[in-house]
Amino acid sequence: MGEQKRRSLRIPGGTSILASLISIGVGLIVGLVLLYVLNAKAAGGAFVSLITTGFRSSDKFAKVLYQAAPLIMTGLSVGFAFKTGLFNIGATGQYTVGSAFALIGAIQFQLPWYICLLLALIGGAFWGIFPGLFKALFNVNEVITSIMFNWIAMFAVNLTINNLPMMLAKYWGGAQMDRTANLAQANPGALIPRLGLDVLMKSNYMNISIFIAIVFAIVAWIILSKTTFGYELKACGYNRNASIYAGINAKRNIVLSMVISGAFAGVGGGLYFLAGTGQYTLLKQLLAAGFNGIPVALLATSNPIGTIFSAFFVSYIQVGGDAMQPDFVKEIIDIIISVIIYLAAFALLTRELLSRGKQRREDAALEAATAHATEAKDEVK
Amino acid sequence: MSILADIVSATIVFMIPLLLVALGGMFSERSGVVNIALEGIMIIGALCSCLFLRYMDASGFGAAHPQWAMFFAILVAGLTGAIFSLLLAFASVNLKADQTIGGTALNMLAPAFAIVLTWAIQGQGQTTILIPTWARITQETLGIPVRDTFLQLFLFKSFYQTTIWAVFLFIIAAVVLYKTRFGLRLRSCGEHPQAADSVGVNVYRMRYAGVFISGLLGGIGGLAYTLAAGSAFQSTVAGYGFLALAVMIFGNWKPLNILGASLFFALFKILGSYSGSIPFLPKFDNIKASEYIYLMLPYVVTMIVLILTSKKSRAPKAEGIPYDKGRR
Amino acid sequence: MNEYVIEMLNITKEFPGIRANDDITLCLRRGEIHALLGENGAGKSTLMSVLFGLYQPEKGTIKKDGEVVRIKGPNEANALNIGMVHQHFKLVEVFTVLENIILGVEPNKMGFLQKKEARKKVVALSERYGLKIDPDALIEDISVGMQQRVEILKMLYRDNDILIFDEPTAVLTPQEIEELMNIMRSFAAEGKSILFITHKLNEIMAVADRCTVLRKGKCIGTVDVKDTDKSSLSRMMVGRDVEFVVAKGETKLGDTVLDVKNLTVPSKLHKNNAVKDVSFSVRAGEIVCLAGIEGNGQTECVYALTGLEKPSAGEVTLLGKPIVFIAPKREKQPASALKGAKAVLMPIRLRSKLGMSHIPEDRQKFGLVLDYSLEENLVLQRYWEPAFQKNGFIRKQNVRQYAEKLIKQYDIRSGQGPVTSARSMSGGNQQKAIVAREMDKNPDLLVAVQPTRGLDVGAIEYIHKQLVAARDNGKAVFLVSLELDEVMNVSDRILVMYEGEIVGEFDPKVTTVEELGLYMAGAKKQAAERTVH
Repeated sequence: MGEQKRRSLRIPGGTSILASLISIGVGLIVGLVLLYVLNAKAAGGAFVSLITTGFRSSDKFAKVLYQAAPLIMTGLSVGFAFKTGLFNIGATGQYTVGSAFALIGAIQFQLPWYICLLLALIGGAFWGIFPGLFKALFNVNEVITSIMFNWIAMFAVNLTINNLPMMLAKYWGGAQMDRTANLAQANPGALIPRLGLDVLMKSNYMNISIFIAIVFAIVAWIILSKTTFGYELKACGYNRNASIYAGINAKRNIVLSMVISGAFAGVGGGLYFLAGTGQYTLLKQLLAAGFNGIPVALLATSNPIGTIFSAFFVSYIQVGGDAMQPDFVKEIIDIIISVIIYLAAFALLTRELLSRGKQRREDAALEAATAHATEAKDEVK
Repeated sequence: MSILADIVSATIVFMIPLLLVALGGMFSERSGVVNIALEGIMIIGALCSCLFLRYMDASGFGAAHPQWAMFFAILVAGLTGAIFSLLLAFASVNLKADQTIGGTALNMLAPAFAIVLTWAIQGQGQTTILIPTWARITQETLGIPVRDTFLQLFLFKSFYQTTIWAVFLFIIAAVVLYKTRFGLRLRSCGEHPQAADSVGVNVYRMRYAGVFISGLLGGIGGLAYTLAAGSAFQSTVAGYGFLALAVMIFGNWKPLNILGASLFFALFKILGSYSGSIPFLPKFDNIKASEYIYLMLPYVVTMIVLILTSKKSRAPKAEGIPYDKGRR
Repeated sequence: MNEYVIEMLNITKEFPGIRANDDITLCLRRGEIHALLGENGAGKSTLMSVLFGLYQPEKGTIKKDGEVVRIKGPNEANALNIGMVHQHFKLVEVFTVLENIILGVEPNKMGFLQKKEARKKVVALSERYGLKIDPDALIEDISVGMQQRVEILKMLYRDNDILIFDEPTAVLTPQEIEELMNIMRSFAAEGKSILFITHKLNEIMAVADRCTVLRKGKCIGTVDVKDTDKSSLSRMMVGRDVEFVVAKGETKLGDTVLDVKNLTVPSKLHKNNAVKDVSFSVRAGEIVCLAGIEGNGQTECVYALTGLEKPSAGEVTLLGKPIVFIAPKREKQPASALKGAKAVLMPIRLRSKLGMSHIPEDRQKFGLVLDYSLEENLVLQRYWEPAFQKNGFIRKQNVRQYAEKLIKQYDIRSGQGPVTSARSMSGGNQQKAIVAREMDKNPDLLVAVQPTRGLDVGAIEYIHKQLVAARDNGKAVFLVSLELDEVMNVSDRILVMYEGEIVGEFDPKVTTVEELGLYMAGAKKQAAERTVH
């Protein structure tokens, strides 16, 4: 038993899951304390709804899945770039451009949903080129390029949508001036199929997007862990010099990694807006959806399969957070998530130190044994 | 004439938060800690100082001594920002955690905390904190007659105490960084912490100090942003923390360059917002919503300049790398 | 007055799983030069770090002038007038010489730096001891020798009189070494006490009064230098007689494998060229060694050959195929051969496929992906081969088998076999993994840069044998080394590089270390055009 327990701790995947679970536990406790501080009377009930709402009814569960799909995609986006040693804080911009491409395909060009989703992928990938290219060619930090291109994306999309006659809701008889058309009116064929799941789960939110997202996660996992391409990408991320030494084209890989990362974020935007339950609003603020990929990726330690679960978790407690209203403001969820990430940052570290220390000791023991063996040999001589 | 005064004064008022926060980031990164949490620090500073201003207003002290109240609000902004930043220092110095991850957590924490606290204090659904009108410095404050001169138009359009402090803090920052023992030691920790340690400089303490100063300046920058952006705090600084990070890189981690970079960026930003009323700018009559072209401009231009100057860019060598005394 | 200024008594320092210092006693007399001798990893640096306050020992006491002291950090060490020149200089590159000297003990008024005062003192010290420096130059712009003078001035500026030198000669030219020895002698004559860490016996014989020998963390003994000789010191150091000569037979020279003509490589450190119009060739079945002091263009030369850096001019062929061809700029080209020829710069991968292997100088920077497992590192140069991938998917089974084969064949020791993280392996085994990977490619040309750096005697012997084995199999070996013993023992032909030029070519059987030293230091240069084999 004890032996088995220790072995499970040795598997890196196992320990990072354990670390994440501990962080989640502590984060939830912090949340509970916060609820009591804010409103002791309602706290107990609110906490119960926070952690049970998502599973309480099929329509709530549908909402969890609906929100999880784009989160998986942006989480994959950030995580994939992390694996190549890049920080893609530009998932927001790529998500925005992906959304715009999908919506333009859907509304302006009346294309079917799968083409629109492909357009979203292309849009996101297109926006990922810039930080990658500028890093590879001019050695401009990808973080700063991403930040700049987030804003450029938002303004460019607003500009474009304004100049395409069919895009805005008012063209289709809608009342609001500031958002894109309702897809159900403009082009029902662009809605992501529901395949009867909406009826089954009694929710308008339910469609196949969660399955699409999971497929992408599996694809990302296969690329990273099974292919030579993934091997090259990770080599670049861990040690750029060594990858160059091994004849890997590091610059090409930086660009490709950002393009793929952008494509994931773009699909996230497509999945969200092609569900038909949200309309793109012409704002002067960046969409939060892209940024939410960062905690998702961190919680999953950039593992694509882990991303599915961490996105599900984040979405789950967001749905729970909505249910705490109006006694509590739903941003309490963000506090819980940020505490979890903060803890995960050094839970990860502790794990690494533990395993590193252990390995060093094993290595030293081995070294000592070798030394003895050599000495013994010398004596025999 | 009046439009020019508007543009100049708006440029300055938007430049101040960028300048302060970028200088803050500079201190943190020069000590070796990448501070991506500037956005969150700004929010916390703005939140606490705006709450403080509300309190001052309610107590009557604000109306009676507006600029004293403002002075204390600036102190509150700086101190709360600095205290908040200690969370980053703790994670990245003591726990040697990934600095980006710690910063991301704080960026997420700050706006959520702001909303939760605003709710808790102001009651359900009340997520904006109004800034008292007396916060601005007017002709009245200084006791001079109102005239329609260019100087007055530009000076008093949006004149806050934060602007004066920003000028002081900029000079102090530059002097501290280059002329003092503290600055020398701080910079050595961002470049070669092992060297600093070997001559008895306490790297951990220096990095704490760097992050603390970034919190101080970031918090004041948060207040300055809120004052510039409108009449209320709404639990956000709209990405200005990230912009300041860009300005800092653009300014090559040097005070004077950061001053130039923040001025440059603010100017293009204001040109974008005022594009409609500036006579000589092309109007793009056949394009709808052409203001977006101008709004995009500062980001595009910054990007181009960054590419052109990328060869000269030189980040502190040891930034982002946790310093571990045991491993050398 | 106490005979000893410093007494380190029964010092024990442990790291997780290893006892770096085991009950070591070392006593330093006033005004003596005391050498601390030992192999890499014997615990010399750890012991000095304990004295300098960087580590706290588990057991043992330190006495200064007979009084027990506790040294908790560099500041305390400094207060006791102990100073140290670290093996890897602790200098901030973007600071000036003056700023580096005063860092930590800055003269100031109310926290404001008073550089004028400091400058006076620094200039006075540099004149008094003949340590030439430019106080306003940036560290990144000055030579290694001058950087070391800065380090010495740092100690003098702090009025230290117990001076620790950690392997100070590794990066110096013979002239600079001589100069350093003189300075050390003058310090000792003034009554300063010097601890001199080294593994070079010649230097100990030349300058030290006494010598303490460490082996595997234990103190073997302290001897008077005048009562001993090199061979007994080396026996103390390694615990057995060292085979100074690698057994190797006659060369069977084959065809030219690598041919380099007029290679010029620009420097990244300064405006001049790092490699200037260099020509040489390497034939199958020989080990050609490029010798020289660190920083004379060897690194850039190798980078240009292996493809890590782009030369500005030159022609390189590997097995008769051009891998680099760049016509010099702004100079008239010889009309015949080069006319109309296109520039060639073969990518690294293709050079590798063509038959080049490269054991890089910095194994952690270039040679390994430390966060990859051992098996992943072992296929770093050939993961794309059909044996290890199919349609872009890695054939993990094959990778595992291959790794197990190499681990066995090359005796790579690691905690968990193929899945061990490369980071957790010891330096020697990391190097073995690289050697295994590069040798098993069965290259026609093996470029090995300081392949034995930082390894213990056993590992060095092993790697030397591998190099000779490659040569005996009819491979061409191009070895870059800073260690003259290695140069003399392993190579069949020696090229000496000085300031980017090849200044001489030698036969190791004929030449002497002293002669090589003169060329390496730029004191001599072969005038005649060398014969190209």
